[in-house]
Amino acid sequence: MPRQRAGTLRIRARPWLLLAPSLVFLLAFTYWPLVQVLEGSFRDQAFGSVASWGIGNYTRLLADPHFGRAAWNNVLYAAGTIVPSVLLALGFALALRETTLFTMAARTLVVLPLLIPLVAAAALFTFVFLPGEGLLDWYLGPFGLRAVNWLGSPSLALGAVCAITVWKNTGSYMLAGVPQELLDAARIDGARAVARFRHVTLPMLGPTFGFVLPIALVNALVQVDQVVTVTQGGPSDSTNLLLYYIYQQAEQNHDAGLAAAATVIGVAALLVLTMASLRTMERGIHYES
Amino acid sequence: MPTTEFHMTRRAALGAAIVASAAGLAVRARAATEIEMFFPVPVQGKLATEMQRLVGLFNTQHPDIKVTPVYTGSYDDTNFKTRAAIQAGRPPAAAIMSANFIREYVIDSAAIALDELIAKDGGTPQGFMAEFWPALALNATDHGRVYGVPFQNSTPLLFYNVQAFKDAGLDPDKPPVTWQDWVDAARKLSKPGADKWGIAWPNSYDYCGWLASTLAMANGGQYYDTAYGGQVYYTEPATVAALRFIHDLVHTHKVMPPGVLDPNGTTAAFFSGRVGMILLSTGALGFIRDNMKQPFRVAFVPKNVVNAAPVGGGSLIIPAGNSPERQAAAWTLIKWLTSPEIAGQWSRFTGYFAPNRAAYDLPEMKQYMAANPNAGVALEQLNRYGRGWFATYKTVPVRKAMEDQVQAILNTDISADAAAARAQSDADALLRPYLEQTALKLPV
Amino acid sequence: MLPLLGLVAAAAAALVWAVPFAWMVTASLRPGVPADVAALWPAPPLGFGNYLDAWQSGDFPTWYLNTVLVCGGILAVQLVTVTMAGYAFARLRFPGRDVVFVLFLLQLLLVPTLLIAPNLTTIVALGLYDRLPGIMAPYFASAFGAFLMRQAFRAIPRDFEEAAMLDGAGVFALIRHVLVPLARPSLIAFAIVSVTFHWNEFLWPLMAVSSPSRQVLTVGLASFASGSEAGGEWGVLAAGTVLVGGPLLLAFLVFQRRFVSSFVFTGLKG
Repeated sequence: MPRQRAGTLRIRARPWLLLAPSLVFLLAFTYWPLVQVLEGSFRDQAFGSVASWGIGNYTRLLADPHFGRAAWNNVLYAAGTIVPSVLLALGFALALRETTLFTMAARTLVVLPLLIPLVAAAALFTFVFLPGEGLLDWYLGPFGLRAVNWLGSPSLALGAVCAITVWKNTGSYMLAGVPQELLDAARIDGARAVARFRHVTLPMLGPTFGFVLPIALVNALVQVDQVVTVTQGGPSDSTNLLLYYIYQQAEQNHDAGLAAAATVIGVAALLVLTMASLRTMERGIHYES
Repeated sequence: MPTTEFHMTRRAALGAAIVASAAGLAVRARAATEIEMFFPVPVQGKLATEMQRLVGLFNTQHPDIKVTPVYTGSYDDTNFKTRAAIQAGRPPAAAIMSANFIREYVIDSAAIALDELIAKDGGTPQGFMAEFWPALALNATDHGRVYGVPFQNSTPLLFYNVQAFKDAGLDPDKPPVTWQDWVDAARKLSKPGADKWGIAWPNSYDYCGWLASTLAMANGGQYYDTAYGGQVYYTEPATVAALRFIHDLVHTHKVMPPGVLDPNGTTAAFFSGRVGMILLSTGALGFIRDNMKQPFRVAFVPKNVVNAAPVGGGSLIIPAGNSPERQAAAWTLIKWLTSPEIAGQWSRFTGYFAPNRAAYDLPEMKQYMAANPNAGVALEQLNRYGRGWFATYKTVPVRKAMEDQVQAILNTDISADAAAARAQSDADALLRPYLEQTALKLPV
Repeated sequence: MLPLLGLVAAAAAALVWAVPFAWMVTASLRPGVPADVAALWPAPPLGFGNYLDAWQSGDFPTWYLNTVLVCGGILAVQLVTVTMAGYAFARLRFPGRDVVFVLFLLQLLLVPTLLIAPNLTTIVALGLYDRLPGIMAPYFASAFGAFLMRQAFRAIPRDFEEAAMLDGAGVFALIRHVLVPLARPSLIAFAIVSVTFHWNEFLWPLMAVSSPSRQVLTVGLASFASGSEAGGEWGVLAAGTVLVGGPLLLAFLVFQRRFVSSFVFTGLKG
């Protein structure tokens, strides 16, 4: 073979050689699983009978009140974690933007939780929320909140679970989500502050939040460690989340069909919600500042 | 033979050690059968460490078998892990399975029947089970075939704070016997404004269902079909009334704190004096004994119609998919662990019953029972009033159907009828596929 | 006026943030069951009894070893895959590049944890169930890392590459000996983010491994805390939590600036 053609072949193959390792794992653990769940979700297999193809799993899924509850809870969970943690992250970043020993110490305190596992945070918070003897009840007792069962009451449990996640995530959003230019440019000078916020600050945040928001949405779907270890979806399903529901169907109820169908719906919802931000993400990755 | 409880002379001990090590050296030439045993620790206390010690003892006494004890969390976790291991083609040789899950293992052919192994030893299934307390047979056998060998068993027990009783003008020697007594005593112990309560018990998943079935049975109910895994009786009048009782404790009599407590929250409240009486597993007797600073006593669970105490606890099973050598090794381990001496040791350490009746004839056990009247109360309740543990097709979600409703009752003022109806319809939907393949499958 | 108010509010909030940690350290140093378990400031009697109990009740040496192996193994393979992929995206033009780019982009969202059910089946089919490589495998490709390296490589002036290629270096040598050293800050940032994430991961290791001898710290802590060995012994639980979270916290306090800049860096600002 003439040297030139061999050389061209080698050059042509080069990008694929470089990408091959990544692609192998991407295909095996991201895209093949997608095919698997799609297929599994349409395979209907009830006890003792033969497998058939159809939408049986989806009908069962939508008829299952636990699924509806888990999906709704997840929406609440997403709102109840993303909004507070992003707002707090902004607030902290702005208020502590000077570099003094004091502000650095404060920022460190807020950042620390991102270094420990969510299960560790959950373990700590079981004590925070312990009725009677726990931190919250103990210190808020004199203010009348003596014996609140934060994790044992369906109306409070989800909020408590959100609190754990907000505590853990705010630090990382503060670091990764607020651009330095914003902090440099922030000058509060009285009445013009509001106008400045609307016309200068918010647009500056756009690209960054275009990136943080999808990640935050993924987190809201994926951060269920505290539900697995502390509440197990209870009480009365009030802390059941989509991924926990999937975990339950797969591990506890041995219902692969339901687990697959629920996964498909979760992935679809995620993609739809992040569709808008995908463009911003892509732009953010393609162009540097 | 367990060596910890014998008194040996120094010389005899030395002699035995030399012989044992010589024998060990000789046997070590042949490879030991290596097996694992999954075990849960479902109650509070240092049980995992004790189990490691017992298994170490077994390994020393049986040089041809090497058992690795694998701590697998709660009963529910142990179930998932065993199932996953079976599916992955790597089942443990033995597992301590929550007694109420055994029925599903039988339905799914995920555990082997032990009748053949029993026959090889020259016994019969009935003769074998006769060694254990009668109530345990309900969960260990299926249509006469033995699938599980009871290892540790418990029943719910009423624990009460002696000092709190005295302070409230109650006689600690006369614990409540009926539900009426119970509520009366609870009223005297409660001061809702001051965060002091008469009654509490764990209502997290698993405990909740267990205690709900207890109350339903104490009210004369059946709760579930003990012979067939396809039916539950959540809407029978006795069960609905029991749910109403729970509702009243929280919302009407105001003697039980609203909300769901888990076992740690319950015991924390008992230790600190916030709650005067709790229902808890006898398996936690050891834990309470070690941590309760004030004097306490135990009593039967109060009755409304009959005394009833469903058993809890775990039995040893041999999962499907194990080779005959592994099965044989597992069988040796199982017989050793459930022998009167070892069962007795485990019982004394934890507070669980020794399921093997002969354990209570041994001198160490007699001594222990004399020194611990609380343990005697628990045993008597088991002997006289033991009942089966809720077990159906898809036990966990069917159990949760009721638990979600009980948890709702604890938190909001919903009616017992509505809760029971909801639980029943959820359960029926889950049981339907099994029913269609069994009871509803009539000849064509 | 406003900045001062903001500062005070932020300071107060930061103190609230620190409360769980303050309790964690305090409770872990007070052996036994003190009456005021909720105290936030250590008061005598103090001691390390809880740490001893926690150490004995759990299997920390095994958990530490497994966690280090998993994080190290993942990082080692990631460093190879992300540098190669990053270079391909940074410098090479080839048909199908946009499609591949989107495939990578989507992986930022379709994280392995979301696909936990089918990934478990894959692991079992590959014979990797209950094995440490089974935990590691889904993470060997990292879109995040690839994009980070792409950004880093593009920032390197082409002169370096051209010089190397004139010397006759092949692509792999170019990446290894020229680009990687120049992109070190990005690699370190990526390493810190990767190790932090995988050290703290829970649900996937929980499902992929069942033997205690192969469990990682997070799973060990969960079995330790939610079960029975700790049952109500809050000091021991607190000590166990310190043992699990300690290494990363310590690393952070020592290399604070590195850590912070890693997380700020990897915000992939655009």
